[in-house]
Amino acid sequence: MTIEPQRPVGDPIVVDDFERLSFRVDRRAYTDDDLAARETTMIFDRCWLYVGHESEVPGPGSYVARDVGGRPVVMARGSDGVIRVFANSCTHRGALICSQPAGRARSFRCPYHDWTFSIQGDLVGVPIPDGYGPGFRKADFGLARHRSDSYRGFVFVTFDPEQPRTLTEYLAGATEYLDLIDDQSEVGMEVIQGAQLHGARANWKLMMENSVDIYHFRALHKRYVGYMESLGSVPPRRRGGFGRALGLGHGANELPPAAARPLAYWTPMFGAEVRPRIEATAARFVDRFGAERAERITGTNRAVLIFPNLMIIDAIAITIRKIDPVGAGQMAITSVALAPKDEDPDIRELRKSHYLTFLGPAGFATPDDIEIVESCQRGYLNRTVRYSDLSRGMNKEVPETTDELPAREFWRQWDRLMHGDDGHLEVAHRGEMQGAEAR
Amino acid sequence: MTTELTVDEAAQVRLWHRVSQFLFREARLLDEWRLREWYDEMLTHDIRYSVPATDVRGETADALGLIDDDAARLRQRIEQLLNGEVWCENPRSRTNRMISNVEILTDRGTHLDVAANVIVYRFGHGRSDAYVGKCRFELVVEGESFRVRRRVVVLDHETLYEHAKLSIIL
Repeated sequence: MTIEPQRPVGDPIVVDDFERLSFRVDRRAYTDDDLAARETTMIFDRCWLYVGHESEVPGPGSYVARDVGGRPVVMARGSDGVIRVFANSCTHRGALICSQPAGRARSFRCPYHDWTFSIQGDLVGVPIPDGYGPGFRKADFGLARHRSDSYRGFVFVTFDPEQPRTLTEYLAGATEYLDLIDDQSEVGMEVIQGAQLHGARANWKLMMENSVDIYHFRALHKRYVGYMESLGSVPPRRRGGFGRALGLGHGANELPPAAARPLAYWTPMFGAEVRPRIEATAARFVDRFGAERAERITGTNRAVLIFPNLMIIDAIAITIRKIDPVGAGQMAITSVALAPKDEDPDIRELRKSHYLTFLGPAGFATPDDIEIVESCQRGYLNRTVRYSDLSRGMNKEVPETTDELPAREFWRQWDRLMHGDDGHLEVAHRGEMQGAEAR
Repeated sequence: MTTELTVDEAAQVRLWHRVSQFLFREARLLDEWRLREWYDEMLTHDIRYSVPATDVRGETADALGLIDDDAARLRQRIEQLLNGEVWCENPRSRTNRMISNVEILTDRGTHLDVAANVIVYRFGHGRSDAYVGKCRFELVVEGESFRVRRRVVVLDHETLYEHAKLSIIL
């Protein structure tokens, strides 16, 4: 497909007017099929995209097969221990070489003609080889390997051989938050078995916005708040919290917990029995990191948006949420839980239980998020109201969590990439302050 | 000419009939949104209601699922549904549960392990969805009737991509 400007100059989708403290997004961004197709080429074909967590391929030969940026890929750990990401497509005629979602194998065999590839991606078997001439070399037909890298256990891939940034450069200020996640265990974090695979009939960007929107919490999630209060959750011991733009489209909210955290923040809802264990863990974090950083790791909630389609929410449990567009009006959502590998079994049970209370397609909160983004998508069918407003907090030096700075950071990068601009690292945009600097 | 049932067979048919009637009544109460009655009259006080993740297939203790309610959280789920607090169930969806393949797997006198298949159709908010699954019940015998102590619905779907959410009790 061609990459042409698809709208006339002077008719922008993102209207960013700092003079008037106004930030608006044309609702065609959520409904227009041409824009959705353009996102594929300008964003998903170019950015670093989250594939999975290293713990999902724990040993040599273990693999997962999933779609990333609309493309079927396999992430496999070779017999050399190296994690590679391949195109899940036979180099002969194109069939999927791996149709199991996860497993352990020495090789991948294409079911069409039995071409066989090693776990490292090398072509090792071709039946009836005398059908090829002397110029045929197996080395030319290994699985297509994508450029991949990992940061603190999070594996990303880019389909753009010319992507100018290393993964660490691309993650910009978001590395600080991945550090705060991965520092939660000395032996490493792991994805808990059991993925919540669901979706929504709405544009994928609505769920990205929703995931960094704290403003809706008390309105939309009354039933969850009521349940937590019935369990004896206590008001935060600190007030405040702030939203941040982390550069290159990434953003975060950081706020004091309104409920317990299984890592090392006890409140009565966890029960008296585990209190000594949780407080001992908290003390160990103070020894390891000092009081200030320990408090940030153990006693602070955060929601981190990594552009374009990864959310990590670290609150009453940690969820990794990968949100994939399926055309303009539908998305696929994959959510998993992340936890310390060496977690106490009782505390692991608490983590899982409270994860389910809030999160996932049958939690006490996520279904309402799904319903509301689907409701927005339906509301856009009435095209009379042209713009959505995302200006909250533009009037403040330090935007609060109930403001919309992380979403604006997302949209500004979206707009740059859709125009073919590579984006730039300056976080402060047209005078808008970065939360951390002002903190 | 008919062949008479043996005494054992007749007892089995009676038990199967009672179990089936119990499960049909459960389905009816859920379809009619008589959730408090269902909770009060048909479940034990230590009920556990689970729906495992669709990529796990079956019960795995270590895995995260979709639902794993104890009595307190199930009660909360019911109150939220009835009070209109669940956005996506207000107005209430219409459901129709088809229970079939009811099979008593083990009869331990005071407890029964029962398997059944279920299709739950849900209509509402412009959507029509079908949830297809295999149920396992642990029933505690209480006089001529039962109470459910363990209720597991293993969905056969690969994902809930089409459904988006699971806001009803299966």
